[in-house]
Amino acid sequence: MLQLILFNVFNGLIVGAFYALMALGLSLIINLSGVINFAHGGFLALGAYLAYSLMPFVGFWGALVIAPFLTAALGLVVERVLIRRLYGRDPLYSLLLTFGLAYILEDVTRYIWGAQSLPYPIPPVLARPLSSQFFFLTGYRLFMVALVAAAVAALFVILRHTRLGMRIRAGTLDLETVSALGVNVRVLRTLNFGLGIYLAGLAGVLAAGMLGLQPTIGTSLIMPSFVAIIVGGLGSLPGTLLGGLLIGVASGLATVFMPSASEAIIYAMMGVVLLLRPRGLLGEEGRMQ
Amino acid sequence: MSDTDRTSVGGRRTVLRAALALGAANLAPPFIRAARGEQPVLIGLDNPLTGTYAAVGKNELAGCELAVSQINAKGGILGRPAELRVEDSTSGDAGTAVQKARKLIERDKVDFLLGNVNSALGLAMAQVSNEKGILHIVPGGHTDAITGATCHWNVFRVCNATQMEANAAAQQLIEKAGRKWYYITPDYAFGHTLQAALEKAAEKLGGTKAGADLAPLGTTDFSSFLIKAQAANPDVIIFLPQGDDMINALKQAVQFGLDKRFHLAGAQQELESLEGLPPEARIGSWVFEWYWKQPGVPHVAEFVEAIRKKTGKVPTARTWFGFVSTWSCALAAQSAKSLDPVKMAKALGGMKLPPEVALVPDQAFYRAEDHQFVASLFVGSAQASGADPEDLFNVARVVRGIDVAGRIEDSPCKLVWPG
Repeated sequence: MLQLILFNVFNGLIVGAFYALMALGLSLIINLSGVINFAHGGFLALGAYLAYSLMPFVGFWGALVIAPFLTAALGLVVERVLIRRLYGRDPLYSLLLTFGLAYILEDVTRYIWGAQSLPYPIPPVLARPLSSQFFFLTGYRLFMVALVAAAVAALFVILRHTRLGMRIRAGTLDLETVSALGVNVRVLRTLNFGLGIYLAGLAGVLAAGMLGLQPTIGTSLIMPSFVAIIVGGLGSLPGTLLGGLLIGVASGLATVFMPSASEAIIYAMMGVVLLLRPRGLLGEEGRMQ
Repeated sequence: MSDTDRTSVGGRRTVLRAALALGAANLAPPFIRAARGEQPVLIGLDNPLTGTYAAVGKNELAGCELAVSQINAKGGILGRPAELRVEDSTSGDAGTAVQKARKLIERDKVDFLLGNVNSALGLAMAQVSNEKGILHIVPGGHTDAITGATCHWNVFRVCNATQMEANAAAQQLIEKAGRKWYYITPDYAFGHTLQAALEKAAEKLGGTKAGADLAPLGTTDFSSFLIKAQAANPDVIIFLPQGDDMINALKQAVQFGLDKRFHLAGAQQELESLEGLPPEARIGSWVFEWYWKQPGVPHVAEFVEAIRKKTGKVPTARTWFGFVSTWSCALAAQSAKSLDPVKMAKALGGMKLPPEVALVPDQAFYRAEDHQFVASLFVGSAQASGADPEDLFNVARVVRGIDVAGRIEDSPCKLVWPG
């Protein structure tokens, strides 16, 4: 029993790392632009499908590098053409827009690649467990955790030590002052949105290697990301990371004791956090209002 | 300047008028057709085209469309052309499915209702069709109740009930894989009845249950379920989720190397799911409800060819469900010589289907007492690829539907006819 619990905690951290990757992109966009991007899952699916189409030409590794950039490029277009018009308005507008966009993206994926699930092959060297005892530690899952860690580290370096990152962080705190200081807020928001969508694309490619590739892949993965953000705290990227890991572990542990609640548990957690600490574990006060 | 303005306004108005006229012209043909006395017989399909079941729903649609074109080529239904009206029921929203069913029945005035892939949506639609007294065929919703506890005089079902699949699967598994089973079951009506059916079938053959976990519908990560299943050390891990969930679960099990330590199996498998899996994950023992490779069975090759021409792919069990359901409408009307639902339902109950519609080795028929279609089941194992790249299932044995359907005396179904 103890082993079962330990395995599930460990495994939950792996799953949670993946949730965190999706949630970080979402969190970046919410923090700076106040846009709750419901279409994040749609971009995730798009990243996965683009990788699928690229793979015959550039291989698994090439697709892993290129597809997230293509997804980000598409994100930039969407931001410039659609989302930009709604900055400064009630968040409800952008919520409705991205909600519709999520449906459109899912249907576009279905239209281009078909409703049928597609097999997404991964290199055989990654597709097996490293030991028979810890069979859930496959090469691919470790690779994924390493990549998530690298992406998170890179993100924090960008935010801490580059001019763009500093502006994004400053903008998150007080966009008006940043704008008054002469920073081009429009460009800042566009780049930030692109960065968020890049993370969605990356998560999509990684998900495709673990799961089946289906048009609904984004929709089914996006809800845990929202929960991760709320549990971890709006406005805090470390909080989002923590939130992702926590819900991964919680969901794994629920399977040991009450498997049918393995999905409900994360929403229950969200409820408890909202009741006891509405700003989330590491969130700033006042963000939720 | 003002002249040009006026011209441009006039131009826009002209375009608007033209558009209106075009719209009106589009409305005209049905009236003209009606006047000619060729009013079509309408078959309403209320089935998923979006969401989790979009792929299987679209395959059922392709089968329906092929049947309609064949029916019309053979003179239509009672001399009138058959026409398909299609609505997207969504994959899981019973409210939408019911609303679309009402729209088809009340506004479009369809003569037949078909649907649904999702058992729960099928049950909800059956209530509406029963209230309205419309002949309703469920192509691919498996839960027992449809032709069991909540059966109706007007409702027929083409795919198998879960108990039939379980009976067909259990024997092969006990013989080949072992007696101790661990179940991973989707947490909704279909999963519950399928697991119960398998437990019942296994118990008769001396099988035991090592454990069982209910996985929420739409679970993407099955790793924690797999960790628990392997800890129980069963002979067989039974996978009962369907569609995308099945793909996710099997793919992860194979990546974890569990296929090398346990026998992986289940009761119902579909070609759509095997196609979505990478070759190394196409493994395990399963039951197919229909398979496109049936050497020597008449008319199957023509059917496969026609669907390949239409969709570019081989037909799946889903395509066959749609095909048989639609043809059943035409056969019921022809046999009853009427579109009266009661007369057609009486004619369809007990009807033996001609081989060019049934496309199975055994005599296929609708059981009169519960309106369940009884045909053949295909027991075997998944394979990475056969001689044909779409040949992903190796049929070991064909089981007669009648042998696994259970005795009608044991069925909770009691049909109540109107009047």
